[in-house]
Amino acid sequence: MSLTLQTLLIFAVAFFGYMHSYVGSTMWNRPIVVSTLVGAVLGDLPTGCKVGAMLELAFLGAVPIGASNPPDMVSGAVIGTAYVVLQSTDIETAVALAIPVAALVAIFDNFLMMFVLPEAAHICDRLADKADADKIDVVVRAASIGNKVALALIVALGFYFGIPVIEKILASIPEFVTHAMDVVAGILPAIGVAILARNMMSKELAPWLMFGFLATAYLEVPTFGIALFGIGVAMLYFFKKEVIVEGVDDNEF
Amino acid sequence: MNSNVKKITQKELNQVFLRSCTLDSGWNYERQQHINYCFTMIPVLKKLYSDDPEKMKRALHRHLEFMACTPHIVTLLAGITAAMEEENANNPDFDEQSISAVKTSLMGPMAGFGDSVFWGSLLTIAVGVGTSFASQGSVLGPVLFFLTINVPGFLSRYYGLKIGYNSGTTFFANMEKSGMINKLSKAAAILGLLVVGSMAASQISIEIPWVIDINGITTPIQEYIDWIMPKFLPACAFVLVYWLLGKKIKTTTLLLLTFVVCIILSYFQIL
Repeated sequence: MSLTLQTLLIFAVAFFGYMHSYVGSTMWNRPIVVSTLVGAVLGDLPTGCKVGAMLELAFLGAVPIGASNPPDMVSGAVIGTAYVVLQSTDIETAVALAIPVAALVAIFDNFLMMFVLPEAAHICDRLADKADADKIDVVVRAASIGNKVALALIVALGFYFGIPVIEKILASIPEFVTHAMDVVAGILPAIGVAILARNMMSKELAPWLMFGFLATAYLEVPTFGIALFGIGVAMLYFFKKEVIVEGVDDNEF
Repeated sequence: MNSNVKKITQKELNQVFLRSCTLDSGWNYERQQHINYCFTMIPVLKKLYSDDPEKMKRALHRHLEFMACTPHIVTLLAGITAAMEEENANNPDFDEQSISAVKTSLMGPMAGFGDSVFWGSLLTIAVGVGTSFASQGSVLGPVLFFLTINVPGFLSRYYGLKIGYNSGTTFFANMEKSGMINKLSKAAAILGLLVVGSMAASQISIEIPWVIDINGITTPIQEYIDWIMPKFLPACAFVLVYWLLGKKIKTTTLLLLTFVVCIILSYFQIL
C-alpha cells in the first residue's frame, strides 16, 4: 500500500474519531475504537485492538468534564498505533509515542477553542441581531465540522512526515510555552463560571454562591453533592408559604 | 387562548433531537456549548417566531448565552426550554427572562449528574468490559464499549426530550397562571448559584510553584496559602473575572489577556 493511500485512510479514521462530538458524543474518539480502526486500515486488526486496550487504560482519566480539556486522544492513538503496526515493534511503544503527540495536538485544539471558535460565536451574535436563524445554522455547521477537518489534517500530516519530524517539533517547543498552556487551561474556567454566576446573581442570593464555594473548598463536597443539597434548599424556598403582594417585583436588582 | 395558537409539533422535536447530538462539537472557551445549543433550538424558534423578528432576535440571543451540560441528557433541558418558548409565543404576559433563568439554573445540576453518570460510571464500565476483550485482540472489545455507552446515551437523549417538553408544557402554563414563575426562577437561581460556587472551587485551578528555603528546610508557598484558605487563588481569579465582566470587558479580551499574562508568568516561572 502506498504512503499516499495510507495517509488518506489515516485522515479518514482521524476525522471519523473527531466527529464523535457531532453525532451524539458517542465516545468513539477513545483509543479502544480509534486504534482498532487504524489497525483495520493498515492491515493488522488484532494488533490494533491490543494497542487500543493498552492506550485506553493509559488515557482513562482523560474526560471532558466541565471546562477541563484532556489530551487529544485521537491523534495520540492514531500515531501510536500506526507506528506499532507498521514497524512491528512492542505495543508498549505506542504509549510512549501517544502521550506527547496527544499533548502537542491538544495545544493546537486549545488554540482553536480559544481563538477560532469564539470568532464563529461572534459571527452568530451578529447574525442574531438580524434575527437570521438560517445563516446561524450554516455558521454553526461549518465551525463544528471545520475544526474536525483541521485536526484530522494535522494528524494526517504527522503520519505522512513520520515520527522523527514529530519528535523534532516536540523538542523545539520551549518548556515554558507548554507549561503556560497548562496554567491557562486551569484559569480559563473562571470566565465561564463567572458568566454563569452573573446571569443568576442578586444581592439577596449571593450568599448561596459563597456557600457552594466554601462547601467544596473546605469540606471537599463534590459538585453533584452540592446540587442535591441545592435541590433541598430550592424546595424549601419554593414551598415556603408567603403572602404574594400584587404588582411588586422583587426579582430585580 | 385564541384560534392561532402556536404549537410545536413532533417534526420540530425530531429536529431538536438530531441537532442536540452536535452539542459538544463547537465547544469554545468563551461560552462553551452555546452555539450548538442555539443550533439545537432553532427549529423550535423558527416554528414559533418566524413572523416576529423582534422576538426571534431576543430568542436567538437568549440561546447563545453560556451553555454547559452533558450532551447525552441535554435534551431534557431543550424540551423544557422549548415548552417555555411555546408558552412565551402564545402568552404576551410571559416573562421572557424566566426562560434564561430556568435554563441557567438547571444546566449546572444536570451537568453534575450527567457527567458523573456518562463520563464517570458508564465510561469506566465500558472501558472495563471493552479492554478485557480488546487486549486479546478481539473486535468484540470496541463493539461492546460502543454499545455500553451509546444504548443508554441515545435512550436518555430521546426520552429526555419527550419528558422535558411534555412536563414543561403543563407545568409552565400553570406556573404562569398562578404567578409562581418568579418564585420558581428564584428557587432555581439558588440551586444554580450553589452549584456555580462549587464549580468555581472544583474547576478553576491555580497553584504557585515557589518554594521558600529556610536553612535547608524547604516549604512550598502554596502550603501557606492553603492555611489561609483552601482554593484561595481560584477564588481571587473568580472575583477578578466577575468584576472585569461587570466593567463590560469583552470575553475575547479576557481570553487574550489570560493567555498573555500566563505566558509571561510562566516564562519568569512565577506560575
